[in-house]
Amino acid sequence: MTRNPTLLRGAALAGALILTGCTAGSTGESASSGGKVTLTFLTFETPNLDAKYWDAAIARASAKVPGVTIKKLVSPSADRTGYAKQLDSTGQFPDVMIGLNPAGFAEAGKLAEWSDNELAKYVEPRANTYDGKVYQLPYSAQATFVYYNKSAFAKAGIDAPPRTYDELLDDSAKLKAKGINPFVVGGGGKDSWADMFPLICTVATDVYKKTPDWLSQRSAGKVKFTDPAFVAAAQKVADLTDKGYIDRAGLSRSYADTEQAFRDGKGAMYPMGSWFSASADAKKPSFDTGVFAWPTDQGSSALPGVTGGGMTVSSKAPDVKLAKKWAKAFMEDEKNLNAAVKADGLFIDIKGYTPPDNMGPVYKESVSAFRQAQKSDGVVNSFSQETGDGSLPPGLADKAAAGVQKLLSGGMTAAQFGAYMDSQWDKATR
Amino acid sequence: MLVPIGITIGYSFTNKNPFNPPTKWVGLDNLTSLASDDEFLTALGNTVLITVIVTVVTNAGGLAIAMLLDRRGWLYNALRSVFFVPVVLSAVVVSVIWQAILVDDGLLNSMLGKLGMSDPPGWLSDPSLALYTVSWVIAWQGLGFCVVIYLAGLQGIPQELHEAAAIDGCGPMMRFRHVTWPMLAPAVTINTVMSLIGGFKAYDQVQVLTNGGPGPGTTSTLAFQVIQTAFNGNHVGYASAMAVAMLALVAAVSVIALGLLQKREVSS
Repeated sequence: MTRNPTLLRGAALAGALILTGCTAGSTGESASSGGKVTLTFLTFETPNLDAKYWDAAIARASAKVPGVTIKKLVSPSADRTGYAKQLDSTGQFPDVMIGLNPAGFAEAGKLAEWSDNELAKYVEPRANTYDGKVYQLPYSAQATFVYYNKSAFAKAGIDAPPRTYDELLDDSAKLKAKGINPFVVGGGGKDSWADMFPLICTVATDVYKKTPDWLSQRSAGKVKFTDPAFVAAAQKVADLTDKGYIDRAGLSRSYADTEQAFRDGKGAMYPMGSWFSASADAKKPSFDTGVFAWPTDQGSSALPGVTGGGMTVSSKAPDVKLAKKWAKAFMEDEKNLNAAVKADGLFIDIKGYTPPDNMGPVYKESVSAFRQAQKSDGVVNSFSQETGDGSLPPGLADKAAAGVQKLLSGGMTAAQFGAYMDSQWDKATR
Repeated sequence: MLVPIGITIGYSFTNKNPFNPPTKWVGLDNLTSLASDDEFLTALGNTVLITVIVTVVTNAGGLAIAMLLDRRGWLYNALRSVFFVPVVLSAVVVSVIWQAILVDDGLLNSMLGKLGMSDPPGWLSDPSLALYTVSWVIAWQGLGFCVVIYLAGLQGIPQELHEAAAIDGCGPMMRFRHVTWPMLAPAVTINTVMSLIGGFKAYDQVQVLTNGGPGPGTTSTLAFQVIQTAFNGNHVGYASAMAVAMLALVAAVSVIALGLLQKREVSS
């Protein structure tokens, strides 16, 4: 056999270099000529927001803004912000994006600012500001509720949703005694963000209710994740797992499979974003679905909510003015809003808009609970989902989700989780 | 190829963060910080373990299957194709399929449940198992490549050598040890080096199956850590230093393995 060791070593080294080499950088431009422009639009698909939904909404907006051709980009996972960063690093930052977390992009000047005039139709125009400026159309609100299986509750002899945290524990014990798994929580692999919902709720009730600007205080170094309040919130989640109230099977399920597990009756309560209400109405499970807010110890209102979620426009779009016009047309088109409400259960915050009359009972109940919480000043920040000043540093939400997985699996105590979060905060902000 | 590598090496000496300019020169700070970075060291340990498992499983399994398939006939031809199919599939597709099998209430645990196991393992949700599960999926996908290379090696061994050994009184084990194994040395070299590289650059399966979890860094690999640091944390300079360290490691291991295995080829 003929051999050339030098050549082979060189080839292997070259192979290794090719296989491991990676980089980031450079910028690019989109096309704009003759009064016509092609804009890239970053979307994301979920069980609720499928390709058909986006295509129809894009077509309606484009019909209102002549001269714009949209090239749709779909994030490979629900983490469209992470995908936008990858596109940015390869010079392909989209011209228009929906549901992006503007943190980092805004401060770096990568996004176009919305003016007061452009925000005139929005109920909470300054819901997410970065150094006083708005970069995302605050067109809707979403909240985290506990959706529950009314049949399972009835079977366990529970006639009303819990009003205090102790009642929640009592109900969980009754469900477990009847052989019913109390909570469906899940998100494995790329969907680990979906494991966050129990902690989002306990941080709302135990931390943000008393200290609404807690994260801003964390930025200023006035509080830490190892402080008793935050550790107590994490401890509640750990306790639920230790008592066998949260099914650990969820740690390996995808987000879609987790939703299906609740639909299949594999658990009585499903802490989830209000977008689930649309799904519960559109594809009704074999049982009636009820809604309640995760209760505080005393029974007061502390509903985790976030307003924003709308369009952001790149400051380097080939025609920023036209891109903003198209983005607003997309956001404010009544048919698009109706479709968004029906598909994703959004609580629209645009003046004069009312949801379609034929919305289902779970959505109506969710909206009612949200508006009631708003009236009683009971809506607080949604941990890890915050945007604007006083939100988590970039990358920390993913780290928090990883930590919660370990908390749920019993591999980390609440105190260790607090220390882990402090350490990750320091790394993210170094 | 050299341009992106050069740029990455350049970035590794800076604090580049596209969301927090200006970029400053930090010399060797990034590279020296890696030595005390728990997350990086965990990812390094995971990567080494995955690489060892993948290299051993694909080579041992690939050789065993190749010897079983080293026969004539349509059935063996068909089986060779079957074993090669995973190699040509996208790692993402393979991972999605395995995810459906391995989730806690997936196909595998359903079968184990029907066989009477009351509390089947959490292949992807148990932090003590997840890394081995990911390693298995990577090895499963790479197995077909090793099978083909070993088959080519086996079919290149002159039949006369086996016959001569048999006449000299060698049994099957002796023939394997003194004829087959030495003659397969070039195939072992190719498969080992490719498996090592495949293990060191593991990313897709981790991203789809576990996203580095369950829990912080449980199944995080070097490639996964580079992507997370660069695109989630925005620390492009530091991530570039990780990529440079990974590059140096893979290059060094590949060259050393190649050198050792080629020495064995010559001596055998």
